[in-house]
Amino acid sequence: MSTIPLRSPRAYLLALPAAAWMLTAVVAPTLLILWVSFWGGRAFSTASPLTTQNYERFLSNATYLQLVLDSLKQAALLMLLCGVLGYCIAYFLSMKLRNPRWRTALLLAFIIPFWTSALIRAIAWVPFLGVNGVINQALLWLGLADQPVEVFLYSRTGISMAQLSLYTLMASGPVMYMLAQIPPALREAAMTLKAPPLVVFWRVVFPLTLPGVVIGQVLVFLNVMADFATVATIGGNKIALLANLVLNFYEGSQIRAAAVVAVLLMLCMLAGVAAALRVVDIRRLGA
Amino acid sequence: MHWKTRQRLVTWALGTLTIGFLLYQWLPILTLAVLSFSGPTGGTTFPMNGVSLHWYRELWAASFIGDFKPPLWRSFLLALACSGVTCVLSVASAQAMRARFAGHNAFFFLLLLGLMAPGLLVGFGFALLARLLGMEPAWNTTAFIVHVSWTLPFGFLTMLAVFNRFDVKLEEAALTLGANRFVAFRRITLPIVLPGVIGAALFGFSLSYDEFARSMFTTGPDNTLPLAVLAQLDQQLTPELYAIGTATTLTSLLVILLTTTVLWLSRRRAAAR
Repeated sequence: MSTIPLRSPRAYLLALPAAAWMLTAVVAPTLLILWVSFWGGRAFSTASPLTTQNYERFLSNATYLQLVLDSLKQAALLMLLCGVLGYCIAYFLSMKLRNPRWRTALLLAFIIPFWTSALIRAIAWVPFLGVNGVINQALLWLGLADQPVEVFLYSRTGISMAQLSLYTLMASGPVMYMLAQIPPALREAAMTLKAPPLVVFWRVVFPLTLPGVVIGQVLVFLNVMADFATVATIGGNKIALLANLVLNFYEGSQIRAAAVVAVLLMLCMLAGVAAALRVVDIRRLGA
Repeated sequence: MHWKTRQRLVTWALGTLTIGFLLYQWLPILTLAVLSFSGPTGGTTFPMNGVSLHWYRELWAASFIGDFKPPLWRSFLLALACSGVTCVLSVASAQAMRARFAGHNAFFFLLLLGLMAPGLLVGFGFALLARLLGMEPAWNTTAFIVHVSWTLPFGFLTMLAVFNRFDVKLEEAALTLGANRFVAFRRITLPIVLPGVIGAALFGFSLSYDEFARSMFTTGPDNTLPLAVLAQLDQQLTPELYAIGTATTLTSLLVILLTTTVLWLSRRRAAAR
């Protein structure tokens, strides 16, 4: 017995507002994008004839295809960097750091920026990366360079540097969660049976954290693919990835083209999530 | 090499990497904060040419850049509204989940969808929907609807986690003693899960306050704060932006501190009882 009985019809009443809200604000808009991407003609009307021309036009443009490839490459690079770095940090904080006070302090230092505006954090990289930026000033002062290096701002390097600082926590968090679930007895058993530390890690610890790794990779992938703000802030107007293209087309009133790019972006993301689900059954995570 | 030495080396290497990353993560934020206090002739990078509150005064006076006060006010109100709606709806939907009604799995995934769907696509799609329905985009109508679809899943998951650890026996005791379900919920359930509700409210506020991808398409002519910052950044990077970045980051930190203190106090009070 509780304040809400099992299978109570009142549950539907309680769930209805949230369900209606999500259907209106998330599901319907997504389906609408799909529909609009097939609209022919010029007017914004539901009477538009359906056509695949919008897709043909986009897919026949080599520049746009290159952009799709670039976006995927950027995501792959960040998945690798954030994945390795995030795993190392998660492992250190959960397994190596024994002092609880230090652990809390470092954990907070790791997590707190995540609670502040991602936009401000992206902007904070700009004074760092410029020709007169902090990195160049440091390089000159240290004598590591005799003239300012220009590769940082308005470049893919700079974008990757900022994204690395923004998204490593997403790769790290799920791994930390999985590491905390591993009973210490498992590692002790392996060590008692004379497995060297590296073997214990590779054969016992790593497989148990694999779901966390995969979820982290999915989060980084989704966020990098959808990230237009970092790209716009640090890349200036010189660099655009798939997500920026949606915005550019939209601002240029090319609604159909924007919808096409949005659908392609969605397809990339769905493919990524589907691939991840083949490796890990997310529903079994709670167990 | 002895394995203990090797273990210690690994620990040191991982520790150095972690500290290195923390510096990497914090240095830009701290630099932004330091540069926001540069002198009147200071620019967007070092040297600072003195220390002053000049850029904060400029920001307030809005003499050179657009006025940030109205967008700030709008963002604040919007975040407050999202926070309230998130509280109510996430408690209601988590309570509904406890009844395991037919279709509760689909309901769970529907809410999770709001978390997974990228803001760019949700915002763009809803702008299309609004246009189809003849709705004029504005920060307090369309943007509000879209923001809640982003903040609600976080509040919902928070409440689910809280109800997972909730001791049903307490409710049972109240009901056995003659309280009706409504009274039991209000007098027993709600006070116990209150820290979770505060967490959901905080999620709602800060996620909406910082949101820009969804707002971009659905806000109309009257900007919210992140959009005003983006617009200014599009024109020119000025130290005023550093000042506003520092101010918002400090506000976020203050809100986190306040909430954790409240949660900590309520837990201590509960333990003392």
